[in-house]
Amino acid sequence: MDEFMAGLVADLKPVRRRRPAVEAAVVATLFAAELALWLLTDNARENLAQVAMTTQTFWWKLASAGVLTVIACAAALSSLTPVGSPRRGLMAFGVGCVVFLIIGAGLDWSLGLTNLAARLPLSAGLDCLSHLVSLSLPPLVVLGFLMRRGAATNLSGTALACGLAAAGWGAFVFVFTCPHDDPLFVAIWYALAMASTALLARLVLPLVSRW
Amino acid sequence: MAESEWTGLMAAAQAGNGAAYRRLLDEARLWLCRYYTRRLPSSMIDDAAQDTLIAIHQKRHTYDSSRPFVAWLAAIARYKWIDRLREMKRHSTEALPDDIHVEGDETAVITATILETLLGQLKPAQSTAIRLVKIHGLSVKEAAARTGQSVSLVKVNIHRGLTKLAGLVEKEDPAHG
Repeated sequence: MDEFMAGLVADLKPVRRRRPAVEAAVVATLFAAELALWLLTDNARENLAQVAMTTQTFWWKLASAGVLTVIACAAALSSLTPVGSPRRGLMAFGVGCVVFLIIGAGLDWSLGLTNLAARLPLSAGLDCLSHLVSLSLPPLVVLGFLMRRGAATNLSGTALACGLAAAGWGAFVFVFTCPHDDPLFVAIWYALAMASTALLARLVLPLVSRW
Repeated sequence: MAESEWTGLMAAAQAGNGAAYRRLLDEARLWLCRYYTRRLPSSMIDDAAQDTLIAIHQKRHTYDSSRPFVAWLAAIARYKWIDRLREMKRHSTEALPDDIHVEGDETAVITATILETLLGQLKPAQSTAIRLVKIHGLSVKEAAARTGQSVSLVKVNIHRGLTKLAGLVEKEDPAHG
């Protein structure tokens, strides 16, 4: 045991303490860089300015994705230390989802659940899903790196929070491109895409972050 | 030990103070042995404590000196305890009958198989270090470069791995009762 302890002491080097505020700043910068790159490469929808001025659903999508990303990011970053837990953040995320879905339903209540086939086109939905998942991957890599460097003790919860944060940001970026403003389309396809990213994170991140 | 003393030692260790770190590890080891005595079989306590000390070493940058140290230590100890319980569950196997028939007498193959089985029961970092240095004959430095572990950590992993292997062999060998 003495040899073992001596080995650890011999390996001791000064370390830079983990600073959650710095991590949050890094995440915000890299996320913003992805958005800037996406918009600069001509991916914004053509009538973006007009839609922003006339369509409530656009702001609902943007606000939902933005707020949910912030909640999930806070949950993920606060749980990267052994004494942190993502549980409260994940519960807040769930409540946030319900609130935004209720608001979405209120925006277009008159349509109800009529004409579902036309409102949920499969090819457009799959296109939305693939774009949204692709846009979630860079943020997921950033959060995965932070998770690996940190010391999460609830690996599955933290991985889920990272996945939801990345998915939320992917959705936020895609809002500027997505031509669909029907709340039902958004609720179904965005939720499916976010769930796919979250599932991927839940399965992969614990494997690469075990310590 | 008072909370402020733990905190002071850990803050000094984070700055690279070896003497403070050694004292912290000694105290932490005692704390961990007490913690695991109530939660694990006695044969596993030392190993669990060592495992947790390595985790403390690797994740020491995540300690925030404005927060209580013991809570941080307890959270890591609990994480490693759950890990160990999962490991115990994974390794629980059915006993084979004593009169099991073995074809052929390829001693070398059997020895290699037994060795692989034993190495398989170690942590991947330990078995890799032992394979590279003790079986393939690499130097500790070369093994460190290949695995990405520090030289000291390779030595620690070999030491711990061999200790555990010896324990496993003794347990399997009927001559040791």
